[in-house]
Formats: sequence, structure tokens, C-alpha cells
Amino acid sequence: MSRAIQVRVSESVVRTIHVEDGVASPLEMLPILPAARMAELLATELAALGFVRDGTTCRRIEADGTEVTIDLEAATIAVALGAAAQIDESIERTVHTGIERQHEAEAGLRDSVMRELDARLADQAEALRRRVTAQLEGKLADLKVELDRAIGKATIAALTEKAAQLGQIESTHEDEAGNVTIRVRL
Amino acid sequence: MDDAVPAVAASEHELVMLARGLIEAHTSEVHAALYRTRALPPEISTTCARLLGETLAHVWPALWRRGAIQSGASIEAGRAGQAGTLRRGRIWERHAPVGLTFSAATLRLLRWLVATPLAAPRSTLAPLVAGPLTVGDQVIVYLALDAAAGTPAHAAIAAQPLVRAAPLAWLGFAEALGTGAPGELDSLCQGAGAIVVEALTVELARRWRAVELGKRAIEAPAVLIALGAAQDASLGGFLAACDRHRRRDLAGFVIDAVAPLISRGIAPMPARLAPEATLASRAAARVAAGALLRGVMTWARWDEAHRGVRFIDDDYATAQLLLARFEAIQPAGAARAAAWLADLAGLAGLAGPAPPTTVPPSAATVSRP
Repeated sequence: MSRAIQVRVSESVVRTIHVEDGVASPLEMLPILPAARMAELLATELAALGFVRDGTTCRRIEADGTEVTIDLEAATIAVALGAAAQIDESIERTVHTGIERQHEAEAGLRDSVMRELDARLADQAEALRRRVTAQLEGKLADLKVELDRAIGKATIAALTEKAAQLGQIESTHEDEAGNVTIRVRL
Repeated sequence: MDDAVPAVAASEHELVMLARGLIEAHTSEVHAALYRTRALPPEISTTCARLLGETLAHVWPALWRRGAIQSGASIEAGRAGQAGTLRRGRIWERHAPVGLTFSAATLRLLRWLVATPLAAPRSTLAPLVAGPLTVGDQVIVYLALDAAAGTPAHAAIAAQPLVRAAPLAWLGFAEALGTGAPGELDSLCQGAGAIVVEALTVELARRWRAVELGKRAIEAPAVLIALGAAQDASLGGFLAACDRHRRRDLAGFVIDAVAPLISRGIAPMPARLAPEATLASRAAARVAAGALLRGVMTWARWDEAHRGVRFIDDDYATAQLLLARFEAIQPAGAARAAAWLADLAGLAGLAGPAPPTTVPPSAATVSRP
């Protein structure tokens, strides 16, 4: 007759996970002046928004860690956000079995515990990733408005430069809707 | 007696009837044949081979009946350094009868279709090994995919290496072939291959348009990314091949596919990509959705070049034909396609709901005790 025993398995894991999400998109700028000049004008506007220029890129890292990078040469914007978290999980499981099956029971239980730990880690990493994605998604609308405004100002500056090349600017008028009228004496 | 009904084995009868069903587009008969399975002897009889040959001889008229009966025009590519010329009329008037050749691959495909239980799990099916394909073989592959469309057998057929090796299958069913890329598509821009594509223009346009409409309902970014990659590889490769062989007219189905969508303002914007997916994958999926529109952009570049061809230039007649083809969407339509592509690539489509507006204190409801 076999003797009944209780097998207890305890496993724990401490892991640092890092998740990241981001998008890249082209910037739409009207080719009023040569591309290099348009990029300069945009860089000026971006500097006013807190972007730091490094060669052909302008970068801004926001308080929540969102990194906005604008490539002036390629006319693209990349927005990325990452997050890290330390996960500490432990699981303890017991099973009753006959003493002659102790090793098989322990091995089976340990496998099952490890699988469950892996699943919990994956769930937590996915939850963190979703938080990052939601945070980033919420920022895009504001960022787009901000960038559209900067591109608009750069476009007006480009138009003004172009007008000055054509003749003498007599007056510049911007209405409430943002439409700009430049009168030029040729 | 000469008028005696040829006698073949039951399995050979199945083979011949399947070939007839595919070529004559008897869909219900083909469906029934696809879901029956019959053991086949390793060789077919000479009578069966003769009957199959007679059946395959009807491929050209069968292709013409698929929408190519209208009068039209096609470019006959000139030799190196020479201008192309135009041929007008119905397709059988425009082209000399070029013999479609069928290799052993056609017989292997037909035998596989008869012998394989296509309703069984795909992993249990014997693979149909790839091999060199003639244009005729490619047509039979295309017809098999077309006949099985909408049935579970479609995916099973599309997964076979022999089917995936057929450029015509990629051009017609890129969405079913998924990951991977077609080989050289040059065989579809010259000789019999070019005539086949001309004959299938109406059908290709209809199929590409249907896929565009379907994109709006796709929610999984990975599905849209795979579809876009397959379409980009197929269409990009085909347009480049058309250009190389001076047969831009063969790409007319791109215009036919997109013209009704542009006129009705139906963009291939996925309506609701899975919100739990990463922004990166959703962004990639939106860009991938624009594969056909990128084909339109290629046409727009061609159109600019065609507008520059003068009356005294050698290619004037062909340029005029292609200008007339592009008229269905006109530069305004191409501009709209470009705007859709910009929307697909832009940040606006990915942005979450606008942040809640703060209610000014003066407008806030004040509750009194």
C-alpha cells in the first residue's frame, strides 16, 4: 500500500520588463522654397516649441518620457514612448500524491507553476504595453495640433520670403482664420 | 466507330470534368468535384490525355468570355529602339492566336485537386510541389483559385507551393497568397501571358476593387500588413514589368479598379483597427492598406510623361491611348488618391479621442443646497 504525501512547490521570479511603442509619419510641407530652407524655417518654429536641434534632427523629450523626433532632411516625425517595470511574482502550489510518484508529481507541478509564472509575466508586460499605447495615443492629437501650427507658421515665413523675392512687401495681414494676405509691389 | 463515346476510367472522367468545369467556370460542378476525393492511377490513358487536350484547347475562348469581348486597343511593343504600335478591335482581332502551352504541371494540379480531400485539415494535405510553369499552367492555377473562391478549399489551394509559384495567381489573388513574394512577372507582359492579362483585365479590376472594399472591415493589423505586403509585391512587380516591356496598357485594371472608389470617395481606410494593438502595428497596417493607391501613383507618374509626348514623337499614338485610359480618374483622381495615402500615413488617423474640454467655471452647473 502506498503512502500519501503532499508535494509543495514554490517558485518566484523578479524581472524587469521594458515595453515601447511608437509611430513614424511623414510631415506635409508645401514646397514653397527649396527643401533645405523649408527645413530651416521649420526648425526655427520647433525651437520655439522646446525642440533641441542636433544636426538634421530636432528632438523633444516630454515630462512623461514621450520622445518626439523630427527629421528635417527626410521630413518625418517619430513619436515613441517606453516604460519599464519590475515585476515580482511568486506562486506556491501543493498536490497530494503517492510517495512512489513524488518525483513525477513534483516535476509536473513545477512545470505548471513555471508556465503560470510566464503567463503572469506576459500578462503584466502586455498590460504595461497597453498603458503605454493608450498614453501615446492620447498625446498624438495634441501633438498633431502643435505641429500643424508650427508647419503653418513655417509656411507663412516661407511665403513671406518668397514674396520678398518677387518684389517689395507693402503689407501683411493675417485674419482670425489664419489666412494670410501679403501685398507685394512688383 | 468514330462517333463512339470515348471510354475512360471513372477517376479519369472526374479529371476531365474538373478541367471542363474550371475552364467553363461551372462553379457548382467544380465545388462538388473539389470536395470528392478519388484515388488516381499513376498514369492516365491516352484517351483521357486526348480529352484533356481537347478541353484545354478551349482556354482562349473561355478567357475571352470573362469580360474581354468588348472592342478595345492594345499596344504592340516595338523592338528595341522602335516605337510601339496600336492594335484595335476585339481581343481575338488584336492578337494573333498564340498557342497556350500546358506542361505536366497542369496535369499535376488537376490530379491533386481530384485526389486531395480539400475539406480535411490543411496540415494533412499532400503538398503540391512547385516547378517550372508555362503561361497555360498559370491560367489553370488562376482558374482553380477563382473557382474555389469563397470556399475553405481556396486557402488550401492557395497554400500550395506550385500555386504560389504562379505570377498570375499573385496578380489575381495576392490577398489569398499572403506572405512571400511573386517571382518575376515578366511572363505576364509578353507573348501569351500579356494576352491572358488583357483578357482578364475586367476580372482583375473587379477583384482588386473588392479587396479594397474589404480592407475597411479588417480589424487585425497583422492581417492588413500581410495583405498590403502581398499586394505591394505583386502590383509593384507587375507595374515595373509592364514598364520594362513597354506594355503599360496591361496595367489598365488598376485604373478600372480604383475609378469607382475615387468617384464615390471610398478610401481603403480601415474603419476600426484593434484598439488593443500597438500604435506601431496600427500605423504599419494603415500604410499597408494603400497598396492599390500606390499603383495609382505610378500611373500618375506615367501620365505626366505621356502628356509630354508630342505629335511628332514616335510614341504619340501609344501615349494617347494611355492618356485616354487615365482619363477615367484624371489628375484630380490621382490627387485624391495621394491625399488618401497621406491620410493613411499621417498621425491623425491614429490619434485617440480629443482630450476633454475643460468646462469654464461660468458654464459649470452650480447645485444649490
